[in-house]
Amino acid sequence: MDERTGWHRAQPWVSLLVRLGLAGIFLVAGGLKVTDLAANGRAVNAYQIMSYDAAMVVGAVQPFVEIVVGLLLLVGLATRLAAWLSAGMMVAFIAGISSAWARGLNIDCGCFSKGGQLPPGVTPNYLPEIFRDVAFLAMAIFLIIYPVSRFSLDARLDRPFSAGVPAEDDVLEEDSDESTDHTAPRRERA
Amino acid sequence: MSSRKDQNAAARMVRDQIAKEQRRKRTMWISIAAVAALVIAGLIGWGIYAGNKTTDYTAPKGANAAGNGISTGSGPVVVDEYVDFLCPHCKSFHDEASASIAQLAADGKITLVTHPVAYLDGASTNRYSTRSSAASGCAAEYGKFTEFSNVLFANQPAEGGAGPSDDDLIVLGKQAGLGDDFAQCVRDKRFLTWTSHVSEEAGRAGVTGTPTVLVNGKPAQASAAQIAAAVAAAAGANPSASTS
Repeated sequence: MDERTGWHRAQPWVSLLVRLGLAGIFLVAGGLKVTDLAANGRAVNAYQIMSYDAAMVVGAVQPFVEIVVGLLLLVGLATRLAAWLSAGMMVAFIAGISSAWARGLNIDCGCFSKGGQLPPGVTPNYLPEIFRDVAFLAMAIFLIIYPVSRFSLDARLDRPFSAGVPAEDDVLEEDSDESTDHTAPRRERA
Repeated sequence: MSSRKDQNAAARMVRDQIAKEQRRKRTMWISIAAVAALVIAGLIGWGIYAGNKTTDYTAPKGANAAGNGISTGSGPVVVDEYVDFLCPHCKSFHDEASASIAQLAADGKITLVTHPVAYLDGASTNRYSTRSSAASGCAAEYGKFTEFSNVLFANQPAEGGAGPSDDDLIVLGKQAGLGDDFAQCVRDKRFLTWTSHVSEEAGRAGVTGTPTVLVNGKPAQASAAQIAAAVAAAAGANPSASTS
């Protein structure tokens, strides 16, 4: 019981950390790529998954999408949607890296860099990259399950409606656990 | 007493219901706005990409038929080298192999096609890759591509900072024996669109990094010995191969 309420209290803070962590990852990854869209297109093309022209378009669009998702997470707007998008992108990245590995391609994943073919003599290290993206995926899934977080625009936008109901911190929670606090005197509205 | 409690409970239920409905609506609108922001961001990226696509370019003198590289020699085996003047591995490749590759071309064994791609614009603060490549187009126009390449690699700047400015490139051109018409060409940025074309065609050919060497279209390791071996093998396999 105690543990449950402890988690209940801690969860918005944990979600805040996860949210800001994911936001930073996307902003850095997108920011590094947005300065050279052609290079990012070539990095996508290096995976040899789609045609050159499609890869160039994906390479040009992707950094901007990453930055917007990063900004949404940063301010905590449409958190759950942003988390779903993050998870989707991570699944795509993991699939891409795995497929490059399976086909024996010798490429830089281009996750936080310009990507492309590795110079001869440098062997790609796909496994840590996949593990890293799996960790990011876990963060995104956590946010899908627990999107309510501290200092989020979502909660701020929700506040006007708390005027009618007893003021509680976690107004976004679907079931504020009234059943658990029998002891607390119920605050009636005047 | 009890009926009053029921009334309160009923009122609260109604309020909760209304609040829930409004929350649902708000979530929907926020989601729509977020998706709209994503779509707009994506369109911006697409717009920038489409705007940067090369449409018109003039290849300098000495360019190959496809206009995406500078030809040296006229031997039967075609050696394509893709280099970025800012790439450190390209410099070490150049230092190690350029003399023997030039010899192969001089001996009439190969046609060397050098593609000066601009892949590393992100690695200098003043787009040195693009500007040096465009300047090499000017050098080709005035017949000193090889000499100018040698000077550029000998004076290669470090990645991450500012590369030589256009004025610096003109000074370097003088070292390669280039004159005022070269200087004007660099100032006019005459071959900037050609550089985009070279890079675009290289990307289309699947060149994702530099240096990349192809011997008759097949990837070879960027070293003098490996290229010589690949050239010998290609010449042996198809001695009557014509120049392209």
